[in-house]
Amino acid sequence: MGDPIISLKDIAVSFDGEQVLKSFNLEIQDGEFVTLLGPSGCGKTTVLRTIGGFVTPDGGEVFFNGKRITSLPPHKREVNTIFQKYALFPHLNVYDNIAFGMRLKGKSEKEVKKTVHEMLAMVNLTGFSHRGVVQLSGGQQQRVAIARALANDPKVLLLDEPLGALDLKLRKDMQVELKKIQQQTGITFLFVTHDQEEALSMSDTVVVMDKGEIQQIGTPTDIYNEPQNAFVADFIGESNILDGMMLEDYWVKFAGRKFRCLDSGFGRNVPVDVVIRPEDIDVTEPDSTLITGEVTGVTFKGVHYEIIVDVNGFKWMIQSTDCREVGDRIGLSLGPDDIHVMAKSEYSGTFGDYSTFSDEMEEDINASEEAEQEEEHEI
Amino acid sequence: MKSNSKALSAPYTVWMVIFIVVPMLLVGYFAFTDKSGQFTLENLLSVGQYSNVFLRSIWLGALATVLSLLLGYPLAYIIARMSEKQQSVMVMLTMLPMWMNFLLRTYAWMSLLEDNGLINSALSALGLPKAHMINTAGAVVLGMVYNYIPYMILPLYSVLTKIDPSVIEAAQDLGANDRKVFLRVVLPMSMPGMISGVTMVFVPAVSTFIISKMLGGGGNLLIGDLIDMQFLGSAYNPNLGSAISLVLMVIILICMGIMNQFDDGENVGGGVLP
Ligand SMILES: Nc1ncnc2c1ncn2[C@@H]1O[C@H](COP(=O)(O)OP(=O)(O)OP(=O)(O)O)[C@@H](O)[C@H]1O
Ligand SMILES: [Mg+2]
Repeated sequence: MGDPIISLKDIAVSFDGEQVLKSFNLEIQDGEFVTLLGPSGCGKTTVLRTIGGFVTPDGGEVFFNGKRITSLPPHKREVNTIFQKYALFPHLNVYDNIAFGMRLKGKSEKEVKKTVHEMLAMVNLTGFSHRGVVQLSGGQQQRVAIARALANDPKVLLLDEPLGALDLKLRKDMQVELKKIQQQTGITFLFVTHDQEEALSMSDTVVVMDKGEIQQIGTPTDIYNEPQNAFVADFIGESNILDGMMLEDYWVKFAGRKFRCLDSGFGRNVPVDVVIRPEDIDVTEPDSTLITGEVTGVTFKGVHYEIIVDVNGFKWMIQSTDCREVGDRIGLSLGPDDIHVMAKSEYSGTFGDYSTFSDEMEEDINASEEAEQEEEHEI
Repeated sequence: MKSNSKALSAPYTVWMVIFIVVPMLLVGYFAFTDKSGQFTLENLLSVGQYSNVFLRSIWLGALATVLSLLLGYPLAYIIARMSEKQQSVMVMLTMLPMWMNFLLRTYAWMSLLEDNGLINSALSALGLPKAHMINTAGAVVLGMVYNYIPYMILPLYSVLTKIDPSVIEAAQDLGANDRKVFLRVVLPMSMPGMISGVTMVFVPAVSTFIISKMLGGGGNLLIGDLIDMQFLGSAYNPNLGSAISLVLMVIILICMGIMNQFDDGENVGGGVLP
């Protein structure tokens, strides 16, 4: 790999004494599609704003193509942003919005016209040139924002949850569309989302963040198959996370049994977290050689059933195409490649047990209903 | 829903008919009749002889409006960028003079500007030559700016605070430096506020009579004074007074029509006036 086009070194940002980014290090290669993935408030927008020049870090440096740009003002940076809230110019129509950046660069009106029409065609808004942007739907505004940024032919495009406001169907279409645009233009994309499926399906590299720190950087398959800690395992897809003990290389003990696994290098008798994905578990008849438990809940999910199994008080989630009844005793069959071992982290013990699964959902719903009612009272 | 809102608006409609439409018709009636009630164009035709007064009024009113805009815009811009707490304090300070009676405020300027007033006393105490300020066109413009500038600042402030900071960031992101951000985003987005402000300063300034009477002396007669004289003064002639009022109204409407051409129809920031 060549030199990174963007590199963040030891970035620290805090607002009102609250540390939002802590020694944040990230390198992005030219032409890469990188996604920042993390829960709300973890600092994703702040990373983009630091690169865009809207936040000056308290510490650390930002480099663009090897040049230090930490204190360069936004208008001098060769990156463009698609803002979380579109931020279109309400006093200009679609055409003038898209032309804005090119006109500042002194392009001829002929060139501007050509590019604007190309961009409109690309985002499927041909014929919308003279519409005011205020009257457009959310999805249309979003696409104008994309066209406005791309019209400048930036080296790097920063996208802050650009699909957040779209309905599922349009969202899927735009995912494909954006990926295609990225491949055609070769522009480096730094994409922010808190939707793990979106991150996995679009990116070359996924950066999982929490509380202002990077939890893991890797390809989508790495992130899914080899999560580095309980947070990543839980955030990306569903996971059963168990307390375990690495006995020696390739042997791990959890749920009261010894299992062969593919992991090594932890040392002998080291406490670890063990991740087992719900879809990797085979449901069999109970057998003394297997983990066995009682089915306590079954939910039909379309492609599969989601089965909650109580094994000595720890509830597992299994995704299976076979239907089981509540009360059935079943065996859980695991192969060595279904088991993933992770080092203990600050997140150990906080995720991966489904005992409160259904209750938790109901509580959430109740809580939000209560909140709504309170709001109504206030009015 | 519809009949409901009609019922609600009924008192306002009645109010408007009694206190706006009827008086306007009366003004029209007087303007086109003579003392005995006969139809005549005499009044309107004789308005022409006061064209110098009209020109002076429009010129001084326009000057005061431009000065208010030039002084008020930066202040409104600065206020709009302050913290919320500071903003409410500054808005209050802007309106503070308006709590004092209009006559008193203008009277105060009289005693400041007089040949033996406070300013000249201060000047001579410092050994500087006196300046003649009262009874000049400059004093009239000063009085207009002083009295009406809050009406410029408030609508400007209200559109400027409504500009989403992320729109400004978007402009910077697309390569605009501070000057370009101002010229291409802030200024056009504040156009509705400017139009409201200009209207709200120009209209009262062009038709004022107190300010010119108190600060302008005899040599700076404005249309307002002229009308005042026809109704309450020595020259008592309501028919001519109505005719002058009518012409003034038409002139103001034309000025506003020209102003509104600057607004391209997309009402963005929500000005105070339509
Ligand atoms: N200008 C600011 N002033 C004060 N606090 C801020 C500011 N900007 C961000 N924060 C705080 O920094 C933290 C991270 O914010 P950020 O917007 O980066 O989160 P995010 O990951 O983009 O979240 P979301 O997914 O909800 O957009 C939050 O706790 C937020 O309240
Ligand atoms: Mg964000």
